[in-house]
Amino acid sequence: MKNRILIIDDEEDMCWAISHILKSQGQSIVTASSGEEACRKLSEGCYSLVFLDAKMPDMDGLDVARFANKLGNDKPQIIMISGYHYANDPIICNAIEEGLITGFLSKPFTNEEILLHYHVHRNAM
Amino acid sequence: MLANQNSKKPSDHFELLYKTLLDSIPSSVLMIDDKLNVISVNQNYLVKSRRSKENTINCPLSDVFPSVILENTGFDNHIRSVLRIRKAIRGQKMTYRGPGVPIRIYYYSILPVVPGQVMLIMEDVTEQTNLSEDVRRVERHLASVVESASDIVLSIDMNGRILTWNSAAADLSGLSSDEVQSQLFHEYCEPGKKTIIEESLLYISGLRRANDSYTIEFCLLTPTNNNNTGILISWVFSPMKDIDGATIGAVIVGRDLAERRKLELQLRQSQKLGALGIMAGGIAHEIRNPLAVCSSAAQFLLSDGVDLEFRKQCSMKIQTNINKASTIIENLMAFAGSSMDGNMTDIVLSEALEGTIALVANQAKVQKIKIELMQSPEIILVSGVVGLLQQVFMNILLNAFKAMPSGGSVSVTIECLSDSVEVQFIDTGIGIPVGDIDKIFDPFHTSSPTGQGTGLGLSICYRIIQQHLGSIRAESSPGKGASIIINLPLLLI
Repeated sequence: MKNRILIIDDEEDMCWAISHILKSQGQSIVTASSGEEACRKLSEGCYSLVFLDAKMPDMDGLDVARFANKLGNDKPQIIMISGYHYANDPIICNAIEEGLITGFLSKPFTNEEILLHYHVHRNAM
Repeated sequence: MLANQNSKKPSDHFELLYKTLLDSIPSSVLMIDDKLNVISVNQNYLVKSRRSKENTINCPLSDVFPSVILENTGFDNHIRSVLRIRKAIRGQKMTYRGPGVPIRIYYYSILPVVPGQVMLIMEDVTEQTNLSEDVRRVERHLASVVESASDIVLSIDMNGRILTWNSAAADLSGLSSDEVQSQLFHEYCEPGKKTIIEESLLYISGLRRANDSYTIEFCLLTPTNNNNTGILISWVFSPMKDIDGATIGAVIVGRDLAERRKLELQLRQSQKLGALGIMAGGIAHEIRNPLAVCSSAAQFLLSDGVDLEFRKQCSMKIQTNINKASTIIENLMAFAGSSMDGNMTDIVLSEALEGTIALVANQAKVQKIKIELMQSPEIILVSGVVGLLQQVFMNILLNAFKAMPSGGSVSVTIECLSDSVEVQFIDTGIGIPVGDIDKIFDPFHTSSPTGQGTGLGLSICYRIIQQHLGSIRAESSPGKGASIIINLPLLLI
């Protein structure tokens, strides 16, 4: 079950959109609508790829990423998706440099951009 | 008095006494005979003129007094006329400069003493003259200060009649000082202010110190202006006291409020823009979310072989999310475009609060802050300017956010008291330091690092609430959060 994808966003419609984009790839997709739910699901199961919202009411996306990175061998690749930050935002650049996240997408995005990140991830595997 | 060498006469004693007396008085005394020779002189004259007895007594007047003085004052002619008609000349003024001494000013009198002799008494009034010169200079200076002041400065007597009226008063009212002189002040004020002026006079006459005052706002009429609505002035009444401390009238200083109102409006406007700036991040986040959903849904619709059910779902998502984005923009527009100088209207307090909370909700989410509004079951109405009250609520909420850098909560409660309503904003932030609680409403007091807060937010809140006839205060225990409590008069239906 290593190929599962976790989509984390407090906006249900965002989870709906990203799920639908990736559905065609025949992947098993799980969604979480809060930071707390995301952490629980991350520690319970294995995910190879995570699409993570940067700002949620209960947790910062980067804190969720830190949590995921402490999971040892089961460390997933994390693509951060944010309407708050821009791609050249120092916070994002630092997070990528530190290896906390592997990629970044700003909202709104095209469906192709999501798929591109997915394929890059697939090829790296 | 005349030189008499016979020392055995009983008058000797008196002569000596008179001489001593004459020498000790601070005026100069000279005896002059009908040939205009000086025949006697007292010590004071010799000292002042720096002459010796030898080159003064029995010398002609023209040798003793500088010729310039004699020519300018006509002094010798005066003496001749007194000798002739034996009528005293008193209180003439003479400027005298002895060789090597600074200028002195004298009052002199020429008295017919015995036939053929006159007495010249010269009194030194240099100091008094200089003093009155100084007094006049100070008077002129004060008058020019009052005249050149940009504020209205006027004085009235206890009957309310105008005594003085400076040029600022003349400029603003269009009425010259001569026109208003001795007229009743209230006739130049908006109607119905007669009693208020009388009461102010009564109030200030009870004030003990001259620097106590009474402040009031009303319009000054501008009869020369076509639309005679007047200019709103803030008046400060201070008692005018006589030398015994009795109040004999009032000094009234008036400041044109139009200018201040304009500045206040600008300040509030820029403060509002500042608040919008703080919220911009949160707003961007909240708008880009629905945009992203719409964008994806639209792309799904473009792909081939979309079934009808999913097509429907996509359209629904697009519609809902467009509505979400437009609500955010509407709230923002309502706040940005809210009138800052409008008329008071009846406001449903909870609606004003909800509107503000909706506006900062995005920012709250970004900062992981929960806002709870505890509604009261009844509808509470207050009288006010919606835009201004919302600015107050927003300032307080954004301040609370700043006090909670790692998240927290703000609860907003509305509680009805007998004739007022209390709105409390209770946060779980860092609190206000004990020494600062009295200062937080002062302009430019800020706990933010330089460049990150003007320190004007709460002082603007204070002023706005004051204008709504309410009060605002803070309570806090450091480390345990802070409460800002607003009290507004209740509008009874």
